[in-house]
Amino acid sequence: MILKTMETIDRDKPKKLYVQVFEILKARIESNEWPVGTQIPVEEELCKIYAVSKATIRLAVLELVRQGYLIRRQGRGTFVCERLASKGPAMSASFKAIMPENEPGLATRIMAQTVMMPVDDVGAKLNIPDDKHLIYIKRLSVRENEPVMIQESFLPHSLCPQLLRDEITKTSLLDLLEDKYELPITRIAENFDVTELSSEESKQLGLPAGAAALLLEQHFFSNDRQIMYVRSVIKPGGIRFSIEFNKNS
Amino acid sequence: MSAIKTIKDVMVDVFDFPHLPYWFTLRQAMGIVQKSLLAGERCLYPLAILVFDEKYNLLGTLGLRDIMKGLEPAFLKSTTSAQVPDDESGEELALIWEAVFSGGSNDKADTQVGEAMVPARYFAQTDDPITKAAHLLTRHNLILLPVLDSNKKLVGVVREIEIFNELANSVLQA
Repeated sequence: MILKTMETIDRDKPKKLYVQVFEILKARIESNEWPVGTQIPVEEELCKIYAVSKATIRLAVLELVRQGYLIRRQGRGTFVCERLASKGPAMSASFKAIMPENEPGLATRIMAQTVMMPVDDVGAKLNIPDDKHLIYIKRLSVRENEPVMIQESFLPHSLCPQLLRDEITKTSLLDLLEDKYELPITRIAENFDVTELSSEESKQLGLPAGAAALLLEQHFFSNDRQIMYVRSVIKPGGIRFSIEFNKNS
Repeated sequence: MSAIKTIKDVMVDVFDFPHLPYWFTLRQAMGIVQKSLLAGERCLYPLAILVFDEKYNLLGTLGLRDIMKGLEPAFLKSTTSAQVPDDESGEELALIWEAVFSGGSNDKADTQVGEAMVPARYFAQTDDPITKAAHLLTRHNLILLPVLDSNKKLVGVVREIEIFNELANSVLQA
């Protein structure tokens, strides 16, 4: 792939390297240098182009995926996609309206409430260094004894260490964060996708291994800081999303 | 010996050590060792991961040697019920050694850490004397000794290095 513009990374800038890479790549997409459907260069190539580490490229690409500029297709690569985010009138919905566990008729079982390190891509998703401890909460939502959703929440342990001991079966995690830990949620970024169930997930949802399910990834921010990453795997037909948006005055 | 120090005087914070639930894999544990223990500026001793259950109860410790043992194929595990050759460096095993940490280890890397860890069976209490910790560490060949408070809550870990230092001080000053 030939790149028309050749921006460079300035290591003397106070701005983090991955943010600089993110901005350069975003500019290529927004200027239509990389139109919708373009496969972007692989990580190794981007490392060479910008003379940065794989971790930096990965963080920048993940942020572009999170913001809807790119989509990753397993085994094929990463592509520029059409952003569905509306540039029309500003709209808002209540936080609770977009929390699937708040659906009526769902009961929650706590599968895990423990501590872990960021493994795989969790550190990048939560934008946290790999040596920081995380609180890990795994919940199974059940409707009339039928499991319909697996929800995994990851939060920096240093932010709310007592959350390990909190009762979270009946209390909303968002309420706890806002009321007890005084972490007002100011923004949520969400991505919907379709995923293949792992063998463990398929057992827990009562589906064959490799079956398709809805994947909802949510990034919760308090002011400018990301405080939680939630990954929900939803059985097809298990939950119907109804969100009402109101135009901001 | 001056006033005997207790465990709480020498224990270190559990959050000095990486944590992992038991169902994660050796592959993921190796990634954590590299990122949390080897890549950092501080040198942590011993290099170990604390393994927990779903409710944050300590189940055991996972040291580098435990991970390497977990990667070994089953036929190399020690056995007490069969005859084994004393000298394992013979030429007849040369081909086996080449394969031990390659293809087979990739499969073994998916083993859960709960299967490779050393289970936590011995504990100290915050008010126990450090001599008790010295005894438990040496008697059971442990790399870490978990410390519980009066409510049986995990509050820290004792390492060989602090215990040794205290014992050395008391012996050398005697």
